[in-house]
Amino acid sequence: MLTVFELTRRSMRQNVKHYYLYFFALIFSMSLYFVFTSLQHDQAVQNMTHPSVDFSAGFQIAGVILIVIVGIFTVSANGIFLRRRSREIGLYQLIGLSKGWVARYLMIENILLGLGALLAAIICGALISRLFVLILLNLLGLEGIVDISFSVPAAFKTSMVYLLIIVITSIQMMLKVYRSTLLNLFQADKRPDLTKPPKVVASAIFALLGLALIGYGYELSGHINEQLFLNALLVLGSIVAGTYLLFRVTIRWCFYRFRKRKDGHLGLTNSLSMAPLMHHMKANANSLTLITMLSAMAITLISMAYAFYYSVEQETRRDLPYDFMFENEPQEALSFKMKLEKEGIDVNHHVVQAVLTMGSILDPNDEFHKVEESLLWLPAEQLKQTGADLNVPPDGEAILYNAGASLAGDLDEQSKRYPTEIELEQHGQTVMYTLRTLMERNIMNLNAPGRQLLVSEATMDKIAEQMAGTPGYKVIRFDTYQVPDKEELAIASSIYAKHVSDERLTYDFYAQYKEVLQMTGLLIFIAAFLGLVFLISTGSILYFKQMTEAEQEKQSFKTLRQLGFDVDMIMKGIIRKQAIVFLLPLSIGMLHSIFAIKAASFMIRSDTTFPASIAMAIYTVIYFVFALFTIGYYRNIVKNAMS
Amino acid sequence: MDQLNVGETVLQARNVHKTFGTKGNAQHVLKGIDLRVTRSEFVGIMGASGSGKTTLLNVLATIDHTTDGTVLIDDADISKLSNTALSAFRRNKLGFIFQDYNLLDTLTVKENILLPISLSKMSKREAESEFTAIANVLDIKALSHKYPHEISGGQKQRTAAGRALIHQPSIVFADEPTGALDSKSASSLLDVMEKVNQQRGVTVVMVTHDPVASSYCSRVVFLRDGKTYSELYRGDKTRHAFFNEIMDVQAVLGGEHVDGF
Repeated sequence: MLTVFELTRRSMRQNVKHYYLYFFALIFSMSLYFVFTSLQHDQAVQNMTHPSVDFSAGFQIAGVILIVIVGIFTVSANGIFLRRRSREIGLYQLIGLSKGWVARYLMIENILLGLGALLAAIICGALISRLFVLILLNLLGLEGIVDISFSVPAAFKTSMVYLLIIVITSIQMMLKVYRSTLLNLFQADKRPDLTKPPKVVASAIFALLGLALIGYGYELSGHINEQLFLNALLVLGSIVAGTYLLFRVTIRWCFYRFRKRKDGHLGLTNSLSMAPLMHHMKANANSLTLITMLSAMAITLISMAYAFYYSVEQETRRDLPYDFMFENEPQEALSFKMKLEKEGIDVNHHVVQAVLTMGSILDPNDEFHKVEESLLWLPAEQLKQTGADLNVPPDGEAILYNAGASLAGDLDEQSKRYPTEIELEQHGQTVMYTLRTLMERNIMNLNAPGRQLLVSEATMDKIAEQMAGTPGYKVIRFDTYQVPDKEELAIASSIYAKHVSDERLTYDFYAQYKEVLQMTGLLIFIAAFLGLVFLISTGSILYFKQMTEAEQEKQSFKTLRQLGFDVDMIMKGIIRKQAIVFLLPLSIGMLHSIFAIKAASFMIRSDTTFPASIAMAIYTVIYFVFALFTIGYYRNIVKNAMS
Repeated sequence: MDQLNVGETVLQARNVHKTFGTKGNAQHVLKGIDLRVTRSEFVGIMGASGSGKTTLLNVLATIDHTTDGTVLIDDADISKLSNTALSAFRRNKLGFIFQDYNLLDTLTVKENILLPISLSKMSKREAESEFTAIANVLDIKALSHKYPHEISGGQKQRTAAGRALIHQPSIVFADEPTGALDSKSASSLLDVMEKVNQQRGVTVVMVTHDPVASSYCSRVVFLRDGKTYSELYRGDKTRHAFFNEIMDVQAVLGGEHVDGF
């Protein structure tokens, strides 16, 4: 007597070759969830990082995103599996088993599979968490060995997420069993979605609307930071809707036109690529939209995180051009230098004499705008001696250096204010100097007082002469230090920390760099693994979908082989289909992400092109592995179609 | 009819054997079959289930290999051809009609019919005129842009016939073409096949267990237990008379004329 359990066990064994990738994806993402929650609750790594790095919040957000992805993934994959098992579900009912029995049978199978995956995920998670911690420490630039113990709360949370997944998929299964008629179940793969010609006017309108929505989204993303939250929602909404219309209407319309023009002379390759795609256009539109959006998000996430991580040094250098700086403290500076030399550290020491005055930078677009502020006049010739990368401005002209300029608004907008005039008041008289342009970096460390203006030494001397004795006038001696050797710099930084142990806010390059590195290291760690989960999810969904379609088309391949088309001819059509199915969402997703990265670039001053390209290239390579898998699966089916 | 029977040989099978399974558990399905088909013949192959008729068709149609013996089609020994050459051979020289139509669900009637010539060098205009001619004979011109799920079984099988004919093959192989059709659709398909055979001189080899279907043929070959049992020529007989003759042979063959029951 065959019990439900026995039947389930047999069916699972039979389906295991279809489930293995699903399993792998599920176990991978859930292991990751386990690791993230473990890290969130673990103090060991937290204690090693800078207190400003919010460790547990980062992992908590990552965990939530993971749950969302895993949810989308399981629901999509489960939908595909249910569709491919339609006939089986129908057969059970045909031989007289009740809907309740079938639903129960599917749910038992689901729960057993789920339990297996849960166990595997927790075991894998516990085993690989050490590896993950090592990777994380490496990214954070920390050294040391951390023992991470098995986290009970993490295991509990992972189980809860599983429970949620099982509940959702069980509901999905019940809906499938109870709401579809026998006829639906048996014709699931025969019935095409859309073969009726699209209505010309409506299609044209919707096709254009799709493009317009995407265009609007792109346009709006250009000035997203004006009203961040509202605009981000608008951009997301219009892009999602536009992408859906693009797949559902625009591309279908193009296919339809192309096919109609062929008037039956479609050819083998198109018969195997375009025709099956149009056959399932509705279902394809949904999944392609989903995959495009997931790809876009994943690429944006990874690219931005990598851009941050990649540019930490550059970004920190913009704020702190010198490793160490002392302001009007020659004694302190000297004793620091002696301490360094005692440790055998090579150091380049330069003294820069600057002048601080009061004055106002005029706005040519707004005559009444006049705010008096501290201006720091720095001599270009002396700075050049320290190795700074700059050009000496002509006499009487200044260049404003401000690393935080982009925080004050759009840089292109700001650049319209230059060249402008600087107004100095000395003893009732006003003197004007030309301010040529703005550079988005500092020429002296962040903590130097006043606005940093680069002038020739002669100009500075002239200003000192003119302004001496006015309120706020001050001559400042900067002692700047550069330590060329990276390892020595680390030691120097700790000496500096001890040297200036008082309450003052001090900045040294290395400490700042480390702190930002830890923040972005955490970011890239989370983003890279989340991105991987996105990628595996999207790749798997595509693979499952294509796998199901391949099986549905098996008879067609057999017929074609019998008609005398050989494997390579058929594969040509299949490869074209895979190229469309994989490339279309990837390229549109990538285009979306390029605009998203551009929009998000206001958060980062360095150029994001290079790190973003690297991230995209890696994403594409891994993505194509799934395409190759799919093509391999198809080739196997076509090869064995005759037997 | 007679002048059509006297023609060049299109297909020649000599001492064809086919064995399935391994040595210990071998099943000898075809035990030395000889068959000659001449140009423009309409040959029916009959026999009870298990007599080897579908196996014979597969072997003749190059879908399966013989264990022993030779099959020549248009003087080419198909057992000596490589798989690639066999594919090309099927594509260029053979047409197929299957019991369950085997149309591609994703293609329209016209696209299905034009599929076999999709890789040939035929110009679009030629293909179009060939399609029109065949579609008119088969009476499916009006269905050109319909999908298989939108048409009846009989229409599907006529579409399949169109697909088997479009590239002007040397032989059309039909495997139980009426097996899934009701009697009305079946006779309309057979009428069409007879018409095509007579008007266009297409050579047809059809496997069937239905005496009505084989009564349309010009010759019926009976198989029994993997061997040729007997042969009947229609000659000038009416279809009805030929049908009765076929029934008589079937009765002798062992009363299994109601196949599968």
